[in-house]
Amino acid sequence: MHGADGDHRPWTFYAFAAFFGLFVAFLYGPMIVIYILSFQGPQGGMTFPLNGVSLHWFYALVSQTRVGDIAGSFVRSIGLAALVAIITVALSVVAGLAFRRRFRGSVFAFYLAIASLIMPGLFVGLGIALTFRLLGLGTSWYTSGLGAQLTWTLPFGLLIMFAVLGRFNRSYEEAAIDLGATQWQKLNEVTLPILLPGIIGVALFGFTLSYDELARTALTAGSENTLPLEIWAMTTNVTSPTLYAVGAVTTIVSFAVIIVALSSIAAIERRRARSLTE
Amino acid sequence: MTRRTSEIRTKLNRRALLKGAAAGGAVVATEAIGGFPTVWAQNAKDVTLVHAGGSYAAIKEIGEQATKDLGFKIVMQAITDDVQLNRSLTQPQTIDINNIDSTKLPYLVGKGVLAAVPVAKYKLWGETVPLFTKGAYPNGKMASTQGLAPIEAMFYADKDAKKLAGKPTEFLTFIPTIYNADTLGIRPDLVGGRDKVTSWKDLLDPKYKGKTALVDYAPVGVMDVAMALESRGDFKYADKGNMTKEEIDKTIKIMIDLKKGGHFRSFWSTFDQSVNLMASGEVVIQSMWSPAVTAVRSRGIDCYYVPLKEGYRGWFVGLAPMAHLSGLKLDCAYEYMNWFNSGWQGGFIAKQGYYSAVPSTAKKFLTPEEWDYWYDGKPAAIDIKDPYGTIMEKKGATRDGGGIWDRMGNIACWNTVMDEDRYLTRRWNEFVSS
Amino acid sequence: MALVDQTVDGLAAGVMAPAESVAPDNSGERASWFQVAPLMVVLLLFFGLPMLVVLAVSFFDFDRTDIVPAFILDNYAELFRSEVTLRLYASSIKFALIVWAVTLVLGFNIAYFLVFHVRSLLWQIGLFLVCTVPFLTSNIIRMISWIPFLGRNGIFNQALEGAGITSQPLEFLLFSDFAVIVAYVHLFTLFMVVPIFNSMARIDKSLLEAARDAGAGRFRVVAEVVLPLSKSGIALGSIFVITLVMGDSFVVRTMSGGQSASVVSALQNEVAALQYPPAAASAVIMVIIVTLMVAGILRLVDVRKELAR
Repeated sequence: MHGADGDHRPWTFYAFAAFFGLFVAFLYGPMIVIYILSFQGPQGGMTFPLNGVSLHWFYALVSQTRVGDIAGSFVRSIGLAALVAIITVALSVVAGLAFRRRFRGSVFAFYLAIASLIMPGLFVGLGIALTFRLLGLGTSWYTSGLGAQLTWTLPFGLLIMFAVLGRFNRSYEEAAIDLGATQWQKLNEVTLPILLPGIIGVALFGFTLSYDELARTALTAGSENTLPLEIWAMTTNVTSPTLYAVGAVTTIVSFAVIIVALSSIAAIERRRARSLTE
Repeated sequence: MTRRTSEIRTKLNRRALLKGAAAGGAVVATEAIGGFPTVWAQNAKDVTLVHAGGSYAAIKEIGEQATKDLGFKIVMQAITDDVQLNRSLTQPQTIDINNIDSTKLPYLVGKGVLAAVPVAKYKLWGETVPLFTKGAYPNGKMASTQGLAPIEAMFYADKDAKKLAGKPTEFLTFIPTIYNADTLGIRPDLVGGRDKVTSWKDLLDPKYKGKTALVDYAPVGVMDVAMALESRGDFKYADKGNMTKEEIDKTIKIMIDLKKGGHFRSFWSTFDQSVNLMASGEVVIQSMWSPAVTAVRSRGIDCYYVPLKEGYRGWFVGLAPMAHLSGLKLDCAYEYMNWFNSGWQGGFIAKQGYYSAVPSTAKKFLTPEEWDYWYDGKPAAIDIKDPYGTIMEKKGATRDGGGIWDRMGNIACWNTVMDEDRYLTRRWNEFVSS
Repeated sequence: MALVDQTVDGLAAGVMAPAESVAPDNSGERASWFQVAPLMVVLLLFFGLPMLVVLAVSFFDFDRTDIVPAFILDNYAELFRSEVTLRLYASSIKFALIVWAVTLVLGFNIAYFLVFHVRSLLWQIGLFLVCTVPFLTSNIIRMISWIPFLGRNGIFNQALEGAGITSQPLEFLLFSDFAVIVAYVHLFTLFMVVPIFNSMARIDKSLLEAARDAGAGRFRVVAEVVLPLSKSGIALGSIFVITLVMGDSFVVRTMSGGQSASVVSALQNEVAALQYPPAAASAVIMVIIVTLMVAGILRLVDVRKELAR
């Protein structure tokens, strides 16, 4: 039989692996262009040919002001993205749990989230700006900008929680209750740990969606730009391979973070396996 | 005439200039401008002004120099046109100094978000080029009034800033800062030489099929095509800058046919795209801006900004204080706007190819060779660098199109917003979706 | 066929059997209200309220420079009368459907690979994270990089010519519908992978064994066991992809070189000209239409039903 539990891998594994490999190559295709061109010489531009090879644009990233306020907007973007991720996780996880029961208004809540997902960011931004003006409030990236981005990430978070909770086996929770756990203990020690991968998924989505967000944030960020806004504004003037250097650096940093994260997960798993056998 | 008087005035500064010239323009640029600061209040240093505008003007370095010279803080925020317009209307308090394009002005007039600038507060009015003060060229000839000309855009009827006057008054809509004459850019190496393109109609020439581009912005894009059609003899427009519905219909129809025939390779919505299109050879002739040509050239690729027979498309921008400013902040705003035209910024921006509204002050911050090249259209006596030090032109080359009044004196039409703007937007959307 | 069906039904029923020990009563409902409240408050404040403003504006009148508060239906009427509207929706929906199909095939296969062929959890997470790294580089930068990748003198064309496959650069790779679809697939496949991955991971592997033991071939197992059980993941992924494509203006504009239109990019042109009322009307209509599309998907696969038992 074609058991997948033996050591022998079926031919489909290699077919799928090759397919996956092609997909990753496709994902990284433009990235490779970015990496190569980030080493562009000082005279070089955003397209081939490569006009000499240098680290010029990497230096420019930290030194020159020509590149706009990349450092400042980057810090703002990271901070905002982290904030959005945390709030999205907190609100979506709890709201997802709510949908496990039938309750009046669940359809309204659900479609409110869907509509928030669908509405073009441009209009959410415009609407918020007009609303804030009517209320006499000022806009800034950590108030109106934050709110605007949440209208984008919360529906995503909620829908992912649907996917995650749909797979959730309640018998674990019942077992906990049978063993005498309180609701709070049940939540903390059974539900959330099992949901953890999904929660991390929501956090990841929230972070990257916020980090990349342009349309909504454009009109709600106030007087200080986030990174996508800064980059976008720079394209109305000449941009330089510094943008590519940004891409290269972000990749290096993300890979570093991933390696650290994976090694720590591996270490935790090893420790857990060891403690189980002891 | 203007030049000679400026020459006499700057002779005294020449020694200082020559000292700095050897090290390049950067040293010259760090000299503080005499006469500032004049706002002397003790708490001026706590004032922060947000100067928002396109990244071609809201440059961090300019803000830093201003902060140094003036004692209060200038924060630059680079934003795109549409965001700027929308924010000016919906969140005016997030902007203090609005880097406004003349064509955006009609949208904001009368909405209570911009304040008028009394001429008395603008100290350099006397030295501003007559194009803005009188709507005329230095030789006395009146500038074209097709489109939104300076004389129509610069003045309010009264201090309430509710209506445009259309003639000189005491209340300015904004302090003019930067202006230029736009035309088509070409790749001489790919079209067979600089002389191959001489007229606007070449934009529509079938031999460039699939290798042309337009700016993806209705009022300008349709005007470029109008220039080409008029030059080709298809028909004559009453005012290319303010077309009637029929004229719009006729133009769009031809544009749709061209698009379906694959004449356009792309439409660029960001400046950066226009540079990449040209530099990569995707396009050999396109509507583009002067610094884009500079950028392509500084990569070692030949790009020519063609002085076309029929003339240029002109534009101008300036600084407008927002209506919510008052008291000390407003004084600081005037101070800053005066500083803006006092030379440092003008010298900086000249190397992008833009002209300063007060050339005499900009001249103080350019080396004589740079002035000759950028403003006088003389052959470069040294290698010409862009504002960041990259060489973009070799010794001996001349600026495309010549001196300031060879170019600015030949404006066929000004960038504009038409009366039929709403209709134009609709038909442009139709064009894009065809 | 019947045996496989029975096995699947039986095991699936067991997995999905409600073991509801919390009685569906008011306190449960109240608890749900408390749990969903924070999310609702944020959405109502930052989405609901602004949307009412947008809705109000869609009824306003306007001329070249002024927006006049009023209550006219002209904006909507013009929208329905205009042929452009039809073309814009046709264009957007066309993109949405093509991208949906491609990302579905890609997403399904990738999720299948990660769930059923990759053994260790570490590898699963690792491979998945590798796919997410490009997303940390801003969209704008990645859009810009398509030109040196797909352009006439770009890497891809040069590689093709170098390998002798073509003698002329392929022009349609960039500034075309093809380029738009490639960019969409590039950006959104992951949105399809994640929900399907989630659904597939919950499938009890013993089901697959049972099906194989009952005599089903490899493809049948996928078609009749895996596929139906991944339905909710597919539905969610589809919702993500379709709403993302329908709501996009940046990608379509950049990758087609401004030559293809989408509903939202036309909207953007109007907003840039401060023509808020017709743009608002357009936005309202668009939300209604896409919400109907989503409702349609949900009618086929009731995602909420699987959740609330």
